[in-house]
Amino acid sequence: MKSLQLLGAILIFMGFLVAEQSNPKEDACIRCHKEMDEEQEEGQKLFPDILNDVHLKRGLSCADCHGGNPEAFDDEDEAMWENDTFGGEVSRTDEIVMCGSCHSDPRFMRQYSTAIRTDQVKQYWTSKHGMELKRGNEKVAICTDCHGVHGILPVDDPRSPVYDMNVPSTCSNCHSDSEYMAEFGIPTDQYYKYRKSVHGEALLDNSDTGAPACNDCHGNHGAIPPDVSHISDICGTCHVNNDKLFQESHLKPIFVKRGFGQCEACHGNHGILKPTDEFLNWDHGSVCVQCHRDKGGEAKIMADQFYTLLDSLKGQIAIANTFVEKADQKGMEVSDLLFPLEEAHKVLIQTRTSIHSFNKDYVEEIAKPGFEATQAAITGGKKALEEFDFRRKGLFISSLIITFLALALYLKIKDIEKKQSKDKS
Amino acid sequence: MGIYESLNERLYLDKIVEFSKKKKVPVFYGTIWYYLGGVSLFLFITQVVSGILLLLYYQPGVATAFESVRFIVSKVEFGWLIREIHSWSANLFIFFVFIHMFTVFFAKAYRKPRELTWFSGMLLLFLAMGFGFSGYLLPWNELAFFATKVGSDIAGSIPGIGDFLLRLLRGGDEVSGATLSRFFGIHVAIIPAVFTVLLGIHLVLVQVQGMSIPPELEKVPEKDRRYMPFFPNFALRDVLTWLIILNVVALLAVFFPWELGVKADFLAPAPPGVKPEWYFMFMYQTLRLLPAHVWFIEGELLGILTFMVGGLIWFFVPLLDKKAKVGERSKFWNWFGIILIIYMIAMTIWGYLV
Repeated sequence: MKSLQLLGAILIFMGFLVAEQSNPKEDACIRCHKEMDEEQEEGQKLFPDILNDVHLKRGLSCADCHGGNPEAFDDEDEAMWENDTFGGEVSRTDEIVMCGSCHSDPRFMRQYSTAIRTDQVKQYWTSKHGMELKRGNEKVAICTDCHGVHGILPVDDPRSPVYDMNVPSTCSNCHSDSEYMAEFGIPTDQYYKYRKSVHGEALLDNSDTGAPACNDCHGNHGAIPPDVSHISDICGTCHVNNDKLFQESHLKPIFVKRGFGQCEACHGNHGILKPTDEFLNWDHGSVCVQCHRDKGGEAKIMADQFYTLLDSLKGQIAIANTFVEKADQKGMEVSDLLFPLEEAHKVLIQTRTSIHSFNKDYVEEIAKPGFEATQAAITGGKKALEEFDFRRKGLFISSLIITFLALALYLKIKDIEKKQSKDKS
Repeated sequence: MGIYESLNERLYLDKIVEFSKKKKVPVFYGTIWYYLGGVSLFLFITQVVSGILLLLYYQPGVATAFESVRFIVSKVEFGWLIREIHSWSANLFIFFVFIHMFTVFFAKAYRKPRELTWFSGMLLLFLAMGFGFSGYLLPWNELAFFATKVGSDIAGSIPGIGDFLLRLLRGGDEVSGATLSRFFGIHVAIIPAVFTVLLGIHLVLVQVQGMSIPPELEKVPEKDRRYMPFFPNFALRDVLTWLIILNVVALLAVFFPWELGVKADFLAPAPPGVKPEWYFMFMYQTLRLLPAHVWFIEGELLGILTFMVGGLIWFFVPLLDKKAKVGERSKFWNWFGIILIIYMIAMTIWGYLV
């Protein structure tokens, strides 16, 4: 009985703890400013989402950033104006320092998470935004421009402006505003291009958070345009094999020497579209001709070879597919043939990747198992169709025999009945 | 002494031969329905033979069932034919058993003294549906897995014994390897054993009591009735029907093969279009159409209770149809049967359309 009472007491105590965590203690700043907010129109409110703020939830109050006395409920002067710690509105330059006072302190931040990073401010000052701010240009992005002000949410909260899928539109708030960006002399069509790109479609249409947003290539706190010579390193973070093959290719030193943007030179940047085999079609849409303007030579020969190789592998896969599908439609068991077909598809992708080596022998070597696999699927498909034909013929013959037997039996019955009626009469 | 004489001394074959010679079949507008029992028997034998052949290769078990069926249809010589014949004859078997049941019902052949033949026949129908339900899961493919899940869920809703029945069928809380082993045992041992005994009783009763004729034909004087000898006339016609059915099964096997589908996956979501086998469809569709609550009772529960009561009424129709007992047709029971057929057909079609 006693242990039950003890358990009850523990549960009640834990209930209090939970209640305490989810309901931040009363704050004079919040109480007054909330009341003031209620008189404001939507959009003019100072902190509509303050109660969701990650800082408030972790026990920080308005006073931790702005100073003042959060316990002076009945005295505005004591709460703000006559309080020595009150700093009021934080300037854009001071904000970096203010946020950094906690976020750059590993010992302080460790209490919330051991994995939390504390190099944001350091990185920020190396970014284009930070460098401009240092020069006194306050138009550049600071912490609150991206993370929000009052009502900051954790980055993994889908409502946060810096949640993976929200990053492009957050960046575009400034970067797509041509008037605002005019003095910087940089394009403002990045978001427009990105939105239609393969990455944009993957992230924003298919909710594939593995797809890159702006910060994955440019960095976030240390955001800066990537150096031309390091573009492949950035792309290579995800496209490992393509990067490795290109790094080892004979084209790499030429690109470096001529200052070409490596991956970007063929694939573009913000508006990267899904690459097609037409990239190699010299006469229609080849990206090679951007540099190889000689209309022929070794580059054309190599591009033609790659294009033909990919085309014939695709052709073989299509033929194999036709045979297997045909057999499947006729009800034949062809699941075994799906393995070589899958293998061929895999090899086709690997072959496309291997193009980045710009080495004919290597590409052919990679493509070889694909041709073998399609051949196996074609042979299997043909065999299945032959088997179906055999079954049909077998059915025809056995059906003929059964029909003949049935007919003979019918005649026999008639004969018996004829004899029986003769006997009767 | 010849073999026949030798056997005759021990098995009294003469008596059987004598019985067979005397056995006759009434000839009238409904003689054709007499073949349905024989057709059902032929299809059952086909299933036993093809089932035994499948057993030589089939391996029950989550890791082996699907693979062994795939092996049968793709690698074993004529394995595909055996599986197709087994599946098609199973479906045709239930189809013909249903028609057989309804023709018996409308011919009032269940009336005295054939009540036991009706009861044994009804039990055989239930067992045939059990054969179908248990056999459907054995290839362990996705559709079968989820159909079994839905089917056993319905069985689990039966008031009182639902929980017990659900666990009995599944061998646990969920459809799993234990369910597969259980269904295999039920399909190849338990149901066949009971079925064989009941079929034996059913056939003996048919032989002993002879063919029933409709009540109105009974009023015709014996001298004006037409008959044909069972041997050889009717028996040969039976064989002729069997040959036609065999041809149909072969045709279906080649041109409309049963897909093996994809292997069942415990973690995969239910694929679209999970439906029970066609002979359960009218019940399934009814349960789907019922609202969540009808007055104070749960819709599904009401449906199941209605089917249970309906099944019991149908089962005991020889005792309930007072007019049939005195050799008359009851309009009520005739309409009952007609409405039931229309309902079953309409619900089945509806079930497949939605």
